Amino acid sequence: MATETELHPVTFEVLKNAFINTVDQMAEQVLRTCYSFVIYNRDFSSALHDAEGNTIAQGNYDIAVHVGTLHYSCMDVIRVFGGKMREGDVFIVNDPYSGGTHFNDVRLVRPVFADGEVIGYAQSNGHWADIGGSVPGSFDVMAKEMFKEGLRITPMRIVEQGELRRDIANMLAGNTRDPAAIIGDMEAQIEATRVGEREILRLVAKYGKDVVKAGMAAVQDYVERAMRQRLAALPDGTWESVDFIDQDPDDGEGLIPIRSKVTIKGDSIVYDLTGSHGVIGTLYNSAFGATFSGIVGGLKTFFPDLPLNSGFYRAIKMVAPENSIVSAEWPVAVTGFLMVYEKIMNGAFEIFSKIMPERAMAGTFNIEYLLTGGRNKRTDSLFMLYDWLPGGWGARNGRDGAGPITACFGTGLQAQPVEGQERANPILTERFEILTDSAGPGRHRGGMATIKSSRLTKCEKGVISYICDRERAIVFGIEGGLPSMPHGLTLRRKKDGTDTWMGAIFSDVPIAEGDWFSRPTAGGGGYGDPLERDPEAVKEDVADDLVSIRRAGMDYGVVIETVDADLAEYKVDYPGTEKLRQELRGQRRGWLKLDPEEVSRLYKAGEIDAMDCCRRYAVVLEWETGNLLPKSTAQFREMVNIRSAAYWSDTATPAEAAAE
Amino acid sequence: MAEAQNIRVAVDIGGTFTDIYVLDEATGALRVAKSASTPNPIDGVMRGLQEAKVDLANVTLFSHGTTVATNALIQRSYPRGAMVCTEGFRDVIEIRRADKNDLWDTYHDVAPPPIRRRDRLTVAERVDAFGEIVTPLDEAGAREVARILKKRKVASVAVCFMNSYVNPANEIRMKEILEEEMPGTPISTSSGVLPEIFEHERFSTTVANAVLTPVVSRYVEELGTKLAQDGYKSDLLLLHSGGGVMTAHTVKDFSARLAASGIAAGAIASRHIGMLCGFRNSIGLDMGGTSTDVSMAYDGETRVTKDWSVEFGYPIRFPSIEVLTIGAGGGSLAWIDDVGGLRNGPQSAGANPGPACYGNGNAVPTNTDANVMLGRLGTSLAGGQITLDYDKAKEAVKTGVAEPLGLGLDEAALSIVSVANANMADAVRLISITRGYDPRDFALIAFGGAGALHGAALAKELSIPAVIVPPAPGVTSALGCLLVDIQHDLGFSYIKPVANADAGEIEAEFQALEKEAVERLSKEGVAPEDMVLQRNIDMMYQGQWRSLSVSVGAPFTDLDAAVEAFHREHQRGYNFRRDGAPVELYRLNLRAIGKTPHAELAKHPTGGALPAPKATRMVRFDESESRIDTPVYWRDDLPAGVAFTGPAIVEQLDSTTVIPPGVKVEIDAYMNIIMRIEEA
Repeated sequence: MATETELHPVTFEVLKNAFINTVDQMAEQVLRTCYSFVIYNRDFSSALHDAEGNTIAQGNYDIAVHVGTLHYSCMDVIRVFGGKMREGDVFIVNDPYSGGTHFNDVRLVRPVFADGEVIGYAQSNGHWADIGGSVPGSFDVMAKEMFKEGLRITPMRIVEQGELRRDIANMLAGNTRDPAAIIGDMEAQIEATRVGEREILRLVAKYGKDVVKAGMAAVQDYVERAMRQRLAALPDGTWESVDFIDQDPDDGEGLIPIRSKVTIKGDSIVYDLTGSHGVIGTLYNSAFGATFSGIVGGLKTFFPDLPLNSGFYRAIKMVAPENSIVSAEWPVAVTGFLMVYEKIMNGAFEIFSKIMPERAMAGTFNIEYLLTGGRNKRTDSLFMLYDWLPGGWGARNGRDGAGPITACFGTGLQAQPVEGQERANPILTERFEILTDSAGPGRHRGGMATIKSSRLTKCEKGVISYICDRERAIVFGIEGGLPSMPHGLTLRRKKDGTDTWMGAIFSDVPIAEGDWFSRPTAGGGGYGDPLERDPEAVKEDVADDLVSIRRAGMDYGVVIETVDADLAEYKVDYPGTEKLRQELRGQRRGWLKLDPEEVSRLYKAGEIDAMDCCRRYAVVLEWETGNLLPKSTAQFREMVNIRSAAYWSDTATPAEAAAE
Repeated sequence: MAEAQNIRVAVDIGGTFTDIYVLDEATGALRVAKSASTPNPIDGVMRGLQEAKVDLANVTLFSHGTTVATNALIQRSYPRGAMVCTEGFRDVIEIRRADKNDLWDTYHDVAPPPIRRRDRLTVAERVDAFGEIVTPLDEAGAREVARILKKRKVASVAVCFMNSYVNPANEIRMKEILEEEMPGTPISTSSGVLPEIFEHERFSTTVANAVLTPVVSRYVEELGTKLAQDGYKSDLLLLHSGGGVMTAHTVKDFSARLAASGIAAGAIASRHIGMLCGFRNSIGLDMGGTSTDVSMAYDGETRVTKDWSVEFGYPIRFPSIEVLTIGAGGGSLAWIDDVGGLRNGPQSAGANPGPACYGNGNAVPTNTDANVMLGRLGTSLAGGQITLDYDKAKEAVKTGVAEPLGLGLDEAALSIVSVANANMADAVRLISITRGYDPRDFALIAFGGAGALHGAALAKELSIPAVIVPPAPGVTSALGCLLVDIQHDLGFSYIKPVANADAGEIEAEFQALEKEAVERLSKEGVAPEDMVLQRNIDMMYQGQWRSLSVSVGAPFTDLDAAVEAFHREHQRGYNFRRDGAPVELYRLNLRAIGKTPHAELAKHPTGGALPAPKATRMVRFDESESRIDTPVYWRDDLPAGVAFTGPAIVEQLDSTTVIPPGVKVEIDAYMNIIMRIEEA
């Protein structure tokens, strides 16, 4: 095949931009015509592929979690239908075990013919709001195998020579909870692939088939060269990180490790996940495609300007232990692969913070999905509310963390308007705002979390599910920065008015009219020793109620006095701050060694709260009961010592800190 | 110079220059002047008027496009504003939709919200999605908020309550209390500014409106006073984002409508020029030194969008003329990336140091340098005031592109220009083909300092059959301020399945909107016979998330016809329709126009002969294998009605037009250059 050196530089640049422009046009079409509110809020992606299925271009605004997977799905279609495709055909696939992500992500793939030859493919991938299975939205946290999760679509011909195969479309839609919308999304995506075809054929008409094919190869070579050049410019070496899933309910308490080892040598990178845990008894497992996507997403964060295509992917060698949590096989449940994905990304954040300190970033909050459904008495119809919240990203080198913004699995994903939710569902939200004190303290603090509290109104036969993590594997700080706080949902029953901590993962819990639930996200982890934070920055945070006066003292050792709350005017008590910081320096290492049972006792007695447990004592409890989780605590403490305490100075003076 | 009795003046303030357009109502004669912009833009306006020797006593209409609102938003240069929110919802404008404009770069942050968190206060109140008051306004709490805001001496307040679009009672009461406690402070309510579902979009628009009100009011008052002192007797008209003008009375209530004032002018001018030349469909290409604005008019109307913002994350959902700005201009740098790819922009040499041929120290080649090298751009510009250094252009192209890529000099320069043209073509595709418009049905209006250099090549790339270069390409935007009507856009969310809708009820809603519109226009002094009211309805397939707008007649009686029009529009825009699928109404809109008497541009008698070229020079075109000896004309020498065939170069004070070999050209009665591009 021709390479880019045989293409004129102008032709190459024009084709490269035209491919990207084409996927942007496909995205625009999907956005304007889709039915799924999940797609509308940008959980979708578009791609062009060459004749072998390699990705030539992916959209600039594609959701992170799809990158690095679309070529696998295209190749799966080719594997089944290669040589048997006809002009006007479109294929459909959603198979996570052949490189997809989860069943909701349904991919429509159209071969593009020139002179009777398939020269490439256009693919539109979107998250359908429901794909069947045992719970609305198709996220059953109790599923251990895929049979409860939803419909697995291995490659099928959905459009035959321009004609939609109604029999197949109806069968697929008929296995979901909203057949009409599913057909609508299917049509929207089919049309989006036609936009891709139209643009490729325009290029063929202008430049000729062979030049376009050469261009498809050349843009991949170009990105691979760029990627390898970047890698070569980094120091050789090996770096490691471990992040955790909260638990395996089949295996008692204890954090579930996902290990990353990155080896850079010359212009190559090996991403080795050996040592990661075996598959677990929930849907929080990932198949190889989604795992690879996590690696690509992590790397792209540190090379944000490089375009994504198979050239980028070719430069990466992935090693994943067989049939593990990062390489699950049929029929292990994988719909919650996002949890694994985000842990891999956070591993990359930690590792690359060391390799490229100028782009360092601490841990981010965890993706969370709330699903509640039942019968809406106002409209006498079924409702399905599917919600996700923004939270805090990790603090950075020289800057506080960003937030509240969407979780790292999909930065393009938009938060939903409360007014839209209240119109369509029997729900009234009482609070949706930034959560004071939610950020992990540090010289630079993490990004801020949000909290949302809602009450069910006129409904019956309601159920609620929650898909989240990091109730125990708390968002981490780096370079001396502190963890933030646990994720988890609190439910208050109308009938007795008491609060119950439900944790970060539960499914299909009955819920009735008047019941109330509230969940925070978490703030980002801190960067650097919080006792070295500029007291003026703490004061500004207090004025904006991002940090309370109480925690300004506890977390940062900064004593704030109120000048005039009406005017939001505060001032720093410098002598008090100096004294308090000295005290904290003297005590904090001891707190990290305090008997965890004693911490549990203090928590049960109401003397300390969950933030204190995470930030001060590095102890993980069952937050509802206050009972100690000894194994999880040991694992968490080890990491807090490595990531935080090891960087603390016992002697730095406030004057030095202020001078910084 | 003897000034005519009745003249109209349009002023467009840009970052570098303030452009002044003077139109003689009797003869249609136009005159343009340029003056340096000043830190207080009003000084630049007044000085420009003096320099242009405009006697304000003779001015019947003064219209104005301004970036004062846009700049205030970007630079956060407005007095302290505050927000009063529903308890539990003080952070809507900070949480936004929680997205980022750069998805992957973790060090690239979204701008902070326009009002700081400490100045976002809350009060207990709540309305549900169907308009029922769940929690009445806590009056004592409201007075406490007012007390604090008064003590803080805030300059304006935005009142933003949940679901107020369906029941504004609590917002209105809150506003009354604020007005009692802090009289004189401008208050914007979200239900008053934009009665539309989705809290962030509504609040963000309201907040922009609130913080801009003191800035814009002061500006309008100062300018109005100065103009009146110098003899202007009529209303000051301000161009708003929607492509019309409004008077100073309305501006104070809808300040945020000025947020795209400066950008809208070029798009309006482009549409107008297209229409003069008989093209109801046109694409505007306003190419300057650092960027290019692309706009579109279809069937005589500029495309309008409500998905618009000055800064990412802070939408202003007033209808705004859709303009796509890309980083490609005369000063855009051509560079070789790490991996050997030839790139063009978005970095620019700007005005200083400018292209290499300016000789101010920049050695990286720009589009201007490539054009100089190819002979397309002469070395003596602006009537000899500016001299470009050919050798520096050549050296930059040689070391920057030719040598690294192993190309010949001409080929390297051609490559630079081709990549720039391809980038612009992609932008045009995004606003045309992507939306279901075929460029072959359009004319390209090429203006701005560099538009006419690239217009013909771009048209070829996109199969656009005609290119029009207006008489004064460098100051064309100001024309846009001169020729528009007073216009207001009213509307509100009206969410209802067609199956449950009633044409009579919709008619009643439209009539209520029209009543409000007529009141507004009357206050601005528009006579009833000059009022035009246009209705349209936003609709979608039930379950979809984006709506399409369909125009409907008055009185509204036929719901089925409106639904059929929606199906047709969906087919045109997205290539498919779903006849069986239920359709939902989403929003009722009314555009209220107050016709301002239109002055005609002068028509020149046609039939002049082609003058002798002022020079010839060797020019390299895309179409030729080598340089061609090409006639160079001075634009002022070309009379109306003359026709000739390229190759040719037409130079004038503020621009240069490239006419490739074989392209047929005529100068029309309005002195536009019209090129007919044949399909290759």
